[in-house]
Formats: sequence, structure tokens, C-alpha cells
Amino acid sequence: MRAQLRSELLKQRSTRTNLGLFAGLLGLVTLAVLLHGVGLPTSDLAGTDNQLMVFGRGEYLGALFAALVGAMSITAEIRHGTIRPTFLVTPHRGRVVAAKVGASILMGAGFGLAASTLAVGVGAAVLPAQGIDVQLDGGDYALLIAGGTAASALWAAIGVGIGAVVRDQVPTLLGISAWLLFVEGLFGENLVDVSRLAPGTLGVAISGQEPDTHLAPALSLLLLALYATAAAAAGWVATTRRDVV
Amino acid sequence: MRSLTKRFGEVVAVQDLTFSLEASTVTGFLGPNGAGKTTTLRLLLGLAAPTAGAALVFGRRYCELEDPAGRVGAVLESNDFHPGRSGRDHLRALALAAEIPQARVEEVLALVELGPAANRRVKTYSLGMRQRLGLAAALLGDPELLVLDEPANGLDPAGVHWLRTFLRRFADRDGTVLVSSHVLAEVAQTVDQVVIIDRGRLVATARLDELAGRGETLEDTYLELTAGGPDESPAPL
Repeated sequence: MRAQLRSELLKQRSTRTNLGLFAGLLGLVTLAVLLHGVGLPTSDLAGTDNQLMVFGRGEYLGALFAALVGAMSITAEIRHGTIRPTFLVTPHRGRVVAAKVGASILMGAGFGLAASTLAVGVGAAVLPAQGIDVQLDGGDYALLIAGGTAASALWAAIGVGIGAVVRDQVPTLLGISAWLLFVEGLFGENLVDVSRLAPGTLGVAISGQEPDTHLAPALSLLLLALYATAAAAAGWVATTRRDVV
Repeated sequence: MRSLTKRFGEVVAVQDLTFSLEASTVTGFLGPNGAGKTTTLRLLLGLAAPTAGAALVFGRRYCELEDPAGRVGAVLESNDFHPGRSGRDHLRALALAAEIPQARVEEVLALVELGPAANRRVKTYSLGMRQRLGLAAALLGDPELLVLDEPANGLDPAGVHWLRTFLRRFADRDGTVLVSSHVLAEVAQTVDQVVIIDRGRLVATARLDELAGRGETLEDTYLELTAGGPDESPAPL
């Protein structure tokens, strides 16, 4: 299992795909925080909730990109055919899936940590420049960064599971992006009670955003971990039972 | 293979296929396009599950082998690489998973004469270089059995000569090779025996020297046996 994990970590860092995603993530986080900080009315940004939302763009985008990294760890292997030599070397496919989950969690945590820290840093620079007092304290910052890291790590595991079940790369990546960027937003407007339990919203809650609307961070972490476990288990079942063509 | 059968819905890809390999020989696995060669190899290597029967390697299912890379090396497609990964990193990732020392990566790169190109991304490789990289991956564990699916596809004459010499040396050192192909002229120069299938069924097995002794050519025999209908029984040569 340790051997497979080392192999998966090498695969993740031996192409330019993840490096490109990481650069794209940092650019988007910077842009999103800047646009919110500069574009929203000053009066809207005075409250703690909206400041948490702006600073929480790191978690939001970090989780999305981590999920894409996790999904591609298996869909890229299927797309390029490298899944065949992978399974020839490790015929116990469950070990391969577990190693992909482990490697993606590490990679996702790195993405989440970087994105959350960057969002906090940019936000802490932009808001005062607009004449806005930042209302957040050390606990808020710690939760934004730690929560963003944890949520991204768990979303990477969810990505592996979805990728293993769907297998086709383009539908997998489009589906994950559509879910996190659009579908859960529709829930939030119309089904508030349901939306609290949606996995993307749980990630937001873990980082302490909208505490009056969302579940508590610790409970959200537990529930998102259950989602990640279920997704990884579904991926394990799909991978071990299906033929490789 | 023991009564091996594989169905995809209504389509029977392999039907009641039984044959075995002799150690230290090169066996040609022949059949027309769509005969079921690739499916049979995937069943043998545990990539697909048989509908009935069994495909065993060294008496076990592939997934039950304790050191699969050390027992079997296989190349099923000429392009099973991430185009953005270097040849060396492709091999390193496989070696890590199989717990093979990284020094062996350099050995197999030298063996297939890819050392100078090993740090280039695979998308810059020619088809012949990709074939050799696939072979290098198969050789990482210094296996006893090589399973190759159409390994000469896309190789230039020098590459075909190199492959033929390599397979011959591998068998001479007590290695066993199962190589699928539909290029009969190439097979006739490389293999010791042939297994011929058509429409998923075994139609013949024979040693090439036996055919030659009877004054028959591989091509004549192959064309005669694979031109029949789907319900023909296996025929002795």
C-alpha cells in the first residue's frame, strides 16, 4: 500500500497538469477576492459574515480544484490507458484506489492550504485599502485556513470516487464543476434545509462561513468525511468489479 | 486457458477456449481482426473477468500472483502512456508500485535503447519508441513470461529485427513468450509454435517445425483454418 502511494504521488507530480491547475487556482483566488473586495459596496463588506464569505473564496475554489485533481488521478489513467500497466503491476485494484485517495488527499490539502492562505492574505490587504475595517480575529483566520485545507482534502477524495464511478474524464470534470458552481447554489435559494447537508455547502461551513445558516464546522467536517468515505467506497466497488477495456 | 468464455451482452468474444503454453518457447497467438485475441490476453492478465472457465498464469489467477511484475510482463497497447510524462517517470512510477529498485529502470531503458530519450515527454516519441518503452515497462520485474499484443505494429524493419532478436534471446534464457499478431510473415520468423483462434474459438495449435516437416506453410494453414464458419470444431493440423 505504501509502495502504491509513493507511485501515485510520483504520477501526480510528474506531469504539468497539477502544476497548471495549481497556478490557475492561485490566479482565480486572487481575482475572486479582489473582485469581491473592490466590486461590492463598502457597506456590504463591513459585516463579519460578508467578510468571511470574501475570505472564504479560497476554500470554495480550493475544494473545486482539489476535486478535479482527485478525479483526474483516475480518469486520466483511463483516458490515456495507463490504467492497464497500473493494474498489471498491482492487480489488487482496491490498493490502487486507496493509494489514489491517499495521494489526492495530500495534494488536495496542499491546494486548500495554499488557496485559503492566499485568500486571507489578499483579503486582509484589499479591504483595509478600501477603507473597511476587518472584523475577523485570529480564530476566524485559523478556521478559514484549517477548514479550507480539510474541505479541499476531503473533496479530493470525493473526486477520486466520482472519477472511478463515471470513468470518462470530460463528464466527470464538467459534472463536479457544475455541481459545485451552480447546482448547490440553486439548492441554497430554494431548499435551505437541504442545502445545509449538500457536500459543497459543508465545505463552506467547515471554514466557518455563514455560521448562522450553516451547520457547525465540526459537524460539517464529520458529514463531509462521510461523503468522502462513501464516494471512495463507491469508486472502490466500481473499480474492482468492472472490466478494464 | 481452461474452457475460457467471455461474453459482452449478446456478443461471444471468446468461446470455450482451452490451450496452454510451453515453457521457454515463443508462442504466436494468431487470428483475424476481431477473433478474440486481445480479449483473451486481457482475461489472462486479470483485466477482465471471464464469463465461464479460467485463465491461469503459473497455475493461478493473475490477481493471485504474489509478485506479478516478477512473473509476468505484458504490453497490450502501444500507447498506454500519459503523453505529458517522461519515459523515465512512467517507468519509475511502475517500479515504485512494484517495489522494484530504481536502478532497474535505468537497466531496462538501456536494454531497449531509450536511455538518451528517457527524460523527454512521451508525446515526442515515435511509435517505435513507444513500443520499446512499453516493452521496458514489461521487463521491469525481470519476468518469466512475456505477453505481447501486436508488438510489431508500427515498427520499421530495423525495429522488427530488433524485436525478433530480443524475443529469441528472451526465450533462449528460459523465458516464455506469448505474442499475438496477424502479421504471418513476421510470426513465421519468430515463434516456435502457434495457437490459432477464429471467432473466439480455438481452431489449431501446432509447432512450426511440424508444419515445415509436412511441407505446409503457416500462411496456407492459417488461411485455410480461419476462412471457415463460426461453428467449425477445432481441427488438428
